[in-house]
Amino acid sequence: MAFAPLDPVLHNQLRLAIASLLVGLDGAEFNFLLEKTGATRGNLSAQISNLKDAGYVEVKKSFKDNYPNTRCSLTAKGLKAFETYVQAIKEYLGTVEG
Amino acid sequence: MEQELTPSESLKLIETMIGQAKSSFSRISFYFLMWGVLLLAAMVTAYLMRDAGNAWAHGAAWGVAGVLGGIISPIFGFRQGKKEQVSNPMDRVVGWIWGAFVITMLLMMFSFTGSGRNPGAAITLLTAMPTFLTGQIMRFKPLIFGGMLFWVAGLVMFFSGNDTVIVSAYCISMVFGYLVPGILLKRQEDGLRTA
Repeated sequence: MAFAPLDPVLHNQLRLAIASLLVGLDGAEFNFLLEKTGATRGNLSAQISNLKDAGYVEVKKSFKDNYPNTRCSLTAKGLKAFETYVQAIKEYLGTVEG
Repeated sequence: MEQELTPSESLKLIETMIGQAKSSFSRISFYFLMWGVLLLAAMVTAYLMRDAGNAWAHGAAWGVAGVLGGIISPIFGFRQGKKEQVSNPMDRVVGWIWGAFVITMLLMMFSFTGSGRNPGAAITLLTAMPTFLTGQIMRFKPLIFGGMLFWVAGLVMFFSGNDTVIVSAYCISMVFGYLVPGILLKRQEDGLRTA
């Protein structure tokens, strides 16, 4: 049986963690993602950029208490890609385990 | 976080992260603690003033508590909103539930007092609903039990004709429905440091 190829944008530990955090939220700030993923600032920033370039994440930059503030949210395209990814993973596991 | 993922690792990661996001609620323990203290103080003051023979003095305790809480709550909410790192849709649901509660409670207060009836038992029964629902949404058992306690206290207040029993039922429900869950929730919030 042929499996659907996994989305290479999401099939990365940090990018998948970011998308998974954002899927249940209206939005989250950079520091929240930093705390929850345990990633470095540089790596997190790079992976958010990758998700943004793919159109999966919307990034809004503003100022909060005079400091730059980055807020991320999952786009409709990102949500669809996430659902497809989860479905593909489940099918794979279902076939292997079943 | 750079290595290749197996499908089972992916699924585990997704579940873990979604679980973490779900538990990222706004800090709301302050409201339970503040309203718990204010309403408890109002009930005790009103009870102690019951023999003063002055209806205005009796109602003033509730008025002061309501006005104080009504001023402090939005100020805290505004300041807290600016600190929030996440927007959890469940926060909005909890907010709507309490907003609907406040509107219903105010309408009941005006309706009951306008027709010469004491709204205490009905409002206590009503308080059970948002407390219980907030506990269920947040999966926080002390609030679920607190909500149940308000139901029991409301019934006791409704059917009892004894002032001391009514005041005791209200105070017990306020301590174990608002204050104790508020303290426990604050501990949890301080531990999570999510907002």
